[in-house]
Formats: sequence, structure tokens, C-alpha cells
Amino acid sequence: MAGVAGGNDFQWCFSQVKGAIDEDVAEADIISTVEFNNSGEFLATGDKGGRVVIFQHEQECKNRPHLRGEYNVYSTFQSHEPEFDYLKSLEIEEKINKIRWLPQQNSAHFLLSTNDKTIKLWKISERDKRAEGYNLKDEDGRLRDPFRITSLRVPVLMPMDLMVEASPRRVFANAHTYHINSISVNSDHQTYLSADDLRINLWHLEITDRSFNIVDIKPANMEELTEVITAAECQPNQCNVFVYSSSKGTIRLCDMRAAALCDRHTKFFEEPEDPSSRSFFSEIISSISDVKFSHSGRYMMTRDYLSVKVWDLNMENRPVETYQVHEYLRSKLCSLYENDCIFDKFECCWNGSDSAIMTGSYNNFFRMFDRNTRKDITLEASRESSKPRGTLKPRKVSTGGKRKKDEISVDSLDFNKKILHTAWHPKENVIAVAATNNLYIFQDKIN
Amino acid sequence: MEFKVEAHRIMSISLGKIYNSRVQRGGIKLHKNLLVSLVLRSARQVYLSDYYGGICLSAQQAREWCEGEYMTSDQDKLIPGSTESLSESDETSDVAVDKQEPRDVVESPAAQHVETQASGEQDSAENGLSVSGCSDINTPEESPEATPTCEVASVVTAISSNCISAPSPSDPNEATETPTDCQTDNSESAENHSDEPKAPQAYTNRKRTAEDSELTDSPTKRTKVTSTSLPSTNDENKGETEEMDTSNVSSLITIFGSSFSGLLSNKEGEQPDSEAEDSDSGQICCDQMLKNLNPWSTAIVAF
Repeated sequence: MAGVAGGNDFQWCFSQVKGAIDEDVAEADIISTVEFNNSGEFLATGDKGGRVVIFQHEQECKNRPHLRGEYNVYSTFQSHEPEFDYLKSLEIEEKINKIRWLPQQNSAHFLLSTNDKTIKLWKISERDKRAEGYNLKDEDGRLRDPFRITSLRVPVLMPMDLMVEASPRRVFANAHTYHINSISVNSDHQTYLSADDLRINLWHLEITDRSFNIVDIKPANMEELTEVITAAECQPNQCNVFVYSSSKGTIRLCDMRAAALCDRHTKFFEEPEDPSSRSFFSEIISSISDVKFSHSGRYMMTRDYLSVKVWDLNMENRPVETYQVHEYLRSKLCSLYENDCIFDKFECCWNGSDSAIMTGSYNNFFRMFDRNTRKDITLEASRESSKPRGTLKPRKVSTGGKRKKDEISVDSLDFNKKILHTAWHPKENVIAVAATNNLYIFQDKIN
Repeated sequence: MEFKVEAHRIMSISLGKIYNSRVQRGGIKLHKNLLVSLVLRSARQVYLSDYYGGICLSAQQAREWCEGEYMTSDQDKLIPGSTESLSESDETSDVAVDKQEPRDVVESPAAQHVETQASGEQDSAENGLSVSGCSDINTPEESPEATPTCEVASVVTAISSNCISAPSPSDPNEATETPTDCQTDNSESAENHSDEPKAPQAYTNRKRTAEDSELTDSPTKRTKVTSTSLPSTNDENKGETEEMDTSNVSSLITIFGSSFSGLLSNKEGEQPDSEAEDSDSGQICCDQMLKNLNPWSTAIVAF
């Protein structure tokens, strides 16, 4: 639906696209996570090759005030390398699963990046001055002959070209037996949690050789396993509260004050299953792939295969809002199971004011839902539909027999072009959408 | 009948996914394999309910014969689980497979199934269908677990006892004959055959450490063998799903049959081998299942 009327509606325009245009996409270039920092000045992406690329929002151009600044590459570094676990004969992928920024406390920026097994804290700092006039070495670094030194001088700081350095400050390793799916920085700015399929650990940012296990759902007998943890997040205002979602479509809220091991939840969120929609694949499509708190902390949003649900933390028995992302896929579940698409883990995000939510779909489509007006829109992230500063045209998938002009039929959707990762600027209407190996940045047109 | 075909197809696909997951980079993904095993269980339930409704007339006789012998407390434990999942399968078969199918067709066999199940005959019947009683080797081992996931495995092995075809136990034999031919055969069967000779030996030397095994993946040597087959097995999945018959699926299931932990360890090898041999003696029904050896089954044994 192209609801473009009223103050709340957005008119999304193409701003930039980052990444190669080649048809052949190298697997290592596939973007696996996208995250704005807390101010929105920086945008970080991680890819399957273990690299992190950070973009910085340039200052607005005085010459062209109608154009908001662009995001340009600020720093690129190799965060994780492929590893081999010799004991278990397992290769550990270098793919970056999640990036989370720490709140900025000084001129440097810190972020946590994680692969399946190891979390790293990176410090990204700028260097724009260089000391010159050393006594013991000359300008190109060679040691001076001590006999030639006849006087003493104080080195002077001289300006230099800006250099951005990324250095790993902490490595949090060997705490997860299963694959890490989430990390979340706590509101106390001192701790963070990391979650794998069966356990959640709490870390202190300064301490790498110890972590506290706060949730453990591993059964004594692995053969009794019925569900796994799929995502976890800290509540943004209360440093003692966190939630984790499961493969069964349930969310548990835990309070760390209750016990050291939060195996017993404080709140349990589950929507009763609709028996009429039962199928072979009901369990798979009810598995929650992402959970995100609203900025206010009052609501949380969960994404399962076909829908996004908004939950009020005060109501456990059902979500307050449910949005269908691509209900037309319900009849195609068997094919989606065969081609593994049914296992795709879509993420979701809130806008800064919590009035809108966004999530991805197939065919490079992504969907936005306005919570107030209940209007939704489908947009496409593709080079063809991206003209400089051009407004994005709303897309529609035809579900019935008749296909209208400009609509696309379900069978024509390209299931290899999936948008799993999206991010919304915390303060402005700027969104970043990862389409395989390309990062699209869209901005709301300033009216 | 269409339910059965659909369920069978889904089961084959699921098992293929589990097989492929073992050679995927990054190790076995617990979440995905758990979901696949749930689908497998649902499909298996539908398959069984349809199976009982449609085909084996001798089921009645075999059930009576086996009731006394196979009713153990262990199987009683499995029953509640299977009852639940059966009622799921009623709806499952209604909804999932083909909306055009009349509800009655599904419900009556399911109802019949429920009745017979009440007395715990389901598992015994499945076991009993193989007259010479093949799968009981497996069920006692499965007995400690009374949960749905284990029930998948145990009843799944029961399927194998029902429907193993003559050719499948001869898989190992055939495989050993053909390794040298594998280059000349069509590519699909070739790569699967090539898995064959190494895998059985590797399996029999392993111990089963279900409880302790966490995310173990195939050792490098097996990875090397199966990596070449990976593209072909994917093609094969697509190409052969229609051709795949129950015998092959059930062989696959046999190997997988050592419960969910089978996903986590490769160490269930010795058990399936013995089951495959025993089930040889147990095929009585379902002539249509007795088709010629499908190269997929050799991959199954490798798995």
C-alpha cells in the first residue's frame, strides 16, 4: 500500500548503495549484520568473510542543504578469521553474526563483534597528529647513530592525514559450546550478554577470562532437547532484565535479581497456536528469529518466518500487534522447506520513536509498518529501482489470480535475493538495508 | 495415498538435510537440525497414519501376534508421546498435504490408529509387521527416553523394520563392489558409492556417546569424502525425490534412528548396521517398496 499522506508517512528516497555490482557474489562479501551506533553517526556492517566495515555520516553539505550527508567508509578491518577446533574437528566460521556498539564515552568508538564462538571488543580511534622530532630515531623511523646526537629536543605533535585505527581490545573466547546467535550490551554500560543455542552468558566488558552463565536450557539428556534459544536482548532501561526467544515461538523475560541462574523465567510470552493453520512446518515458522526491545523499553518485537509481532511487556498471553510480512508464502512452505529458505532468519527493527517497524522479505523486498496508522508499505532494494534521490516506488505481490500491472506474482519472486538485515537510524529517518552483498541507504525526503 | 507420498517425500528431504548438515562448514547447526527433526517427526506420523489406513492388511494379524511379545513398559512410555503427535498428524495430514483430499480418508485411518494405539499396539504393530521381529534391537535401546524427540527416533526405526526392502541391506555389499566403478557410473550414484566403503568401517569402530557429544562434526577424512558428494547429493535430492521409495528412506531412517543425538554425533554407526541387517529378515509387506537399489541408499549407509 502506498500510503503517502499525512505527517507520519515516509517518502523513502534512494541515497546510496555500497558494494560490488557483479552478478557473481563472493560468499565472503555477503553482509551478515548491520548496525547503527547510538548516535547514528556510524553504521557498521559485518560480512561472511569476517570483515567489519564502518561508515561515517558525513557532515551535511552547505552547498546542498536539501541533501543529508552521505555515509562514507570510515574504517575496514578483519574482525574474525576462520578457525579450526582441533578437539572436535570443527571448522569455526568467521562470519560476523552480530555487531553491537557500546555507548560512546570518549573520543574513541567501541563495538562488540561476534562470530559463532568468539566475541571481540574493538576500539576504533582516530589519529590525526603525529609526533615529530624524536631524539633517538629520525623521521623515517631508523635509529639514529648515538654518536651523532648532540642535542636534546622535545618532540612536537604535527597534524597528519586522518588515520582510523581499529584494534582489538578484548577477546572473549571459549565460553560457548554452541553457536552464538546474539549479543546485547546492558544499560549499565559495564556488562553484556551473549547467547548461543542453549546458554546465555553475562560478561563484564573488562574481564575476558570469566563469564557468568545466566541461562542454561541444555537438558541432561540431549535426546530430550525440544527447543533452543534463538535470540536474546537486554532491556534498554533496566539492567537486570533481559529476554530470550526460543525456537518454539515463546519469549521468556528474566530478572537477574531473582536468581543467579535465570532458568525460571519471570514472564513467559506465548501466543496460543491457531489449530486451523497447522501443517508440517508449523513448528519451523513459529520459531522466532529476532527479538528487539523498543527504545522506550515498554514493548518488544519478535520476528518469526511469516510475521512480526509487537508485545507489551505487561501482557504475556498474546501480542498487542501482529503484522503479516509475506502471508502469501504460507502455501509455499513445502518448497521453501526444500530450498532451505524456511530457515532464513529475518531481523526486524524499530524506528527512533517506536512508531514504525521494518523487516525484510524476499526478492529484495523489505516491509515497513506504521504502528499508528496501521499502514504498511513494501519497498525494493535494487539497483534498477534506485535512481539518485529518486523516491522508491511501493511494490506489491499479487496473491490472487489476477495480476495487476506492476505487481509481481509469488512464483516470480527471487528467493535468493533476501533481505535479512536492516537497520534504522536511532534519530533520523535513514535506513540501511543489506541485500546480499550490497548495502542500500535510503532517506526520507525532507519535505 | 497422496498423504503418504507427500509425507514420504518430506521425510526424504529432511533426512537429506540432516545428512548434508554434517558436511557443512561451521559445524552442525543445532537449531536447524532440531527443526528438521520436528518436520521429520510430523511427516513420519502422517506417513504412518496413512500407511495403516491404506496398505497392509496383514497389519491386523501381525499386531495380534506381536502384541504379547512387544508390549513392554518401555513401549508404554512411548505411547503417550505418540498419541500426542498422532493427533497432530490428523490435522497435519488434513492441512499440510493436499487440501483436496477428503478429510474422511485421513480421519478414519487415524481414528483406527488411535484405537489401536490406546493399547500400545502401535509400536508393537510396527515392530510386529516385520514378522521375524527386527527392530526390537533398537527399541530397547531407545526405551529410556520417553520424550517426543526420542519417540521420533524409535518409531522411525520401527518404520524401517516395516518397510525395508530386500536390496537395502545389501547396500554394503553393492557398495563394496562398485567403488572402482564409481567414476564411470552416473555422477550421482558414483559419489554416493564412493562414500560407501569408507563409512561403514569408520562407523563400526565408533562408540556411541550420545549424552556427552556436543557439536561433533565429521572428522576431516569423512569431510573430504563427502564434500565431493555434496553438490551431487543436492542435485540428487531434487532429482530423486520422486523416485525415492520407502525402502531407501527407511534405510536412511535406520541410520538416523539412534535418536536426536544422532544429529550431534557420527557415532551411531554400529547400531544402524546391525539394524539394517536384521530388517532384512523382516520385510513382508508392501511389495511396491521392494524396488531396485537406489544409489541414495548407499549414501544413507554412509550417513
